Amino acid sequence: MATALAVSPTRMELMKLKKQLNLAQRGHDLLKEKMDALVMEFFEIFRKIQESRTKALEQLSTAYRALTNCFALMGTLETVQAARETRRELQIEISSRYLMGISIPAVEFGEIQRNALTRGYGLHMTSSVLDEAAREFERALGLLVELAETEAVAFAIARELEKTKRRVNALEYILIPRLKGALKFIMMRLDEMERENFTRLKRIKAIIEEHR
Amino acid sequence: MSYKTAVIGDMDTATGMSLAGATHTHVHVKRDETLAKLNEFLTSDEIGLILVTHRVAEELGFEFRQMMRTKRLLPLVLRIPDKTGYVPKVDELQETIKRTVGAEIVVKKEGG
Repeated sequence: MATALAVSPTRMELMKLKKQLNLAQRGHDLLKEKMDALVMEFFEIFRKIQESRTKALEQLSTAYRALTNCFALMGTLETVQAARETRRELQIEISSRYLMGISIPAVEFGEIQRNALTRGYGLHMTSSVLDEAAREFERALGLLVELAETEAVAFAIARELEKTKRRVNALEYILIPRLKGALKFIMMRLDEMERENFTRLKRIKAIIEEHR
Repeated sequence: MSYKTAVIGDMDTATGMSLAGATHTHVHVKRDETLAKLNEFLTSDEIGLILVTHRVAEELGFEFRQMMRTKRLLPLVLRIPDKTGYVPKVDELQETIKRTVGAEIVVKKEGG
């Protein structure tokens, strides 16, 4: 695990290591704070997703029911044909904004709901159930677009969270222990050298005394 | 920038969504074709949102997940249930949370 770095036991090295350790620790603290903030953000988004998901899915199933009705009353082929004739296309505006350094999409859309005249299929061949189905689907699509935005944000945050977590762990469990190990090694070594020197001096002194 | 929407799914989904204004639709028949189409949608610059039914996403399986991982920020991809209301039991988002946040998910489940 915390295998010490290969360092030479000098005072210079000691100072350098101390600086490095300081930096690593500061980075670690900052990243940890970032992680906490991300987690909070994530939970907020998660709650939002669950809300809008239930709403969107309900609307979608209503829409499917309306469509099935339409298939039954108007005929499958005619419905598909009408769908093919649908003219106005949905335009969604997507820009990206930044949330704590992560770029996330921001979605906006104009009027999704249209009236029967602007939808594009011929009115004399179609029935009102088709209008109903189209309206329900427009509503569902609107909710789905919103849901897609929040989900994309959630995934972006999750990805960032994973990255941050990995970094925090690398600092906490690898780099910092290693630096600490190296620091300890140098300190011990320096102390040892001091003691050696001390005994050497003592010894020399004793020899000199003897010779006198 | 303004974008268009695309749908990949069964007949009903495609029909309904194109009624609502989705421009590009693809009805899933063969796996290879759908994959090619999905790739085309993903690389297209004018498409901002792709709706894929859960069933199709599941059938594409590994390749789909691979594409999701490697895609750019846009287009967004959303999986939706099809006519039968089919939603897989394993929620991808839940999985992600479990992986990233760890144990805290349980707290959230009870709270939210």
